[in-house]
Amino acid sequence: MTAPASEQRRVAVGIGQLVVSKDPRDVLVAYGLGSCVAVAAYDVGAKVAGLVHVLLPASEGKASAGGEPARFADVGVDELLRRLAEAGALRARLVIKLAGGAAVLGAANAEKFKIGERNAEAIQERLQRHGLRAASCDLGGTRGRTLELHVAAGRTYVRMAAGAPTEL
Amino acid sequence: MATLTAELEGTLSRVARDGAARAGRGLTGLMGQEIAIHVPQVRLGTRADACDAVGGPETVVLGSYLSITGDISGHIVLLFPVERALACVDLMCGQPAGTTREADEIACSAIGELGNIVGSAFVNALADHAGLALHPSPPSILNDMALALVETVYAEVLSQGGDVVMIDTVFEDARGQTTGLLIVAPDPVCMPHLRELAA
Repeated sequence: MTAPASEQRRVAVGIGQLVVSKDPRDVLVAYGLGSCVAVAAYDVGAKVAGLVHVLLPASEGKASAGGEPARFADVGVDELLRRLAEAGALRARLVIKLAGGAAVLGAANAEKFKIGERNAEAIQERLQRHGLRAASCDLGGTRGRTLELHVAAGRTYVRMAAGAPTEL
Repeated sequence: MATLTAELEGTLSRVARDGAARAGRGLTGLMGQEIAIHVPQVRLGTRADACDAVGGPETVVLGSYLSITGDISGHIVLLFPVERALACVDLMCGQPAGTTREADEIACSAIGELGNIVGSAFVNALADHAGLALHPSPPSILNDMALALVETVYAEVLSQGGDVVMIDTVFEDARGQTTGLLIVAPDPVCMPHLRELAA
């Protein structure tokens, strides 16, 4: 069940941010994903949801910037899983969904800007290292996306600019 | 996070103000009405609030992207809320306001030309101040969510390591209404060059 719209609370998950919630009123939202990739994870048993908004593929040993604890794919995925476990989620029950990783600066520049593709690859590799894989993905292309994860039932929706949301 | 030295901030602000003045003259001539361009800040990094100038992170914007090549490299993104972009197209084409209702081929071409004028003005200002040979690329048309575009430039620049300097520029018309957002982001590899210039 998803909370009635009037009771929903939209929680923006900005660039490099990570949010874990058990509040069924919460809708976690990563707005305007361009080359960034959102990783949405949900444990249907514990009804715990987590969303991370990854900016770059690899930390290469660099600490995440203070204001962006999940700037990098490797650190971001690790931290997401740690925080979900802390909140009572079981890794084996996690349903993971990914969206973003586009080349939005025009088709002519798609070859030059590979950050989105590299972000998506780095996240999938990191998940694999933890023995996980995404259940569904909406990655690549040349259009920006917004992803929202409804904590009440773990439903995930993606929409493009001025488009209607579709369930992922 | 590193901070901008006062000298570098001063230099970049002067370049940005000069670029804004040149772009303003170009746009005023093209539009047939006074367009003022303000440079409110030069700063490191970016935040989603850069998108507030054009209506918020999810606002669909129309604009253009140019890359800078030559002695230094970087990126120029010009964004307008769609309604403002279409109003600009009517002004540029000498049509009554409200004639252009969608981002069709002619509108996109006009926005590309706008990007050319504004982007080139900034590139030329930087080239003149720094004594560098710089070339703007032809514009690519953008029509997407504001944050998706801004964060992609941010990611591209940040992925090269080093500091990210983004010059945010807000356009205002004679009534003081915000008409657009311009972001100029030199690649981090160019920062030593710019610091030398500031010294």
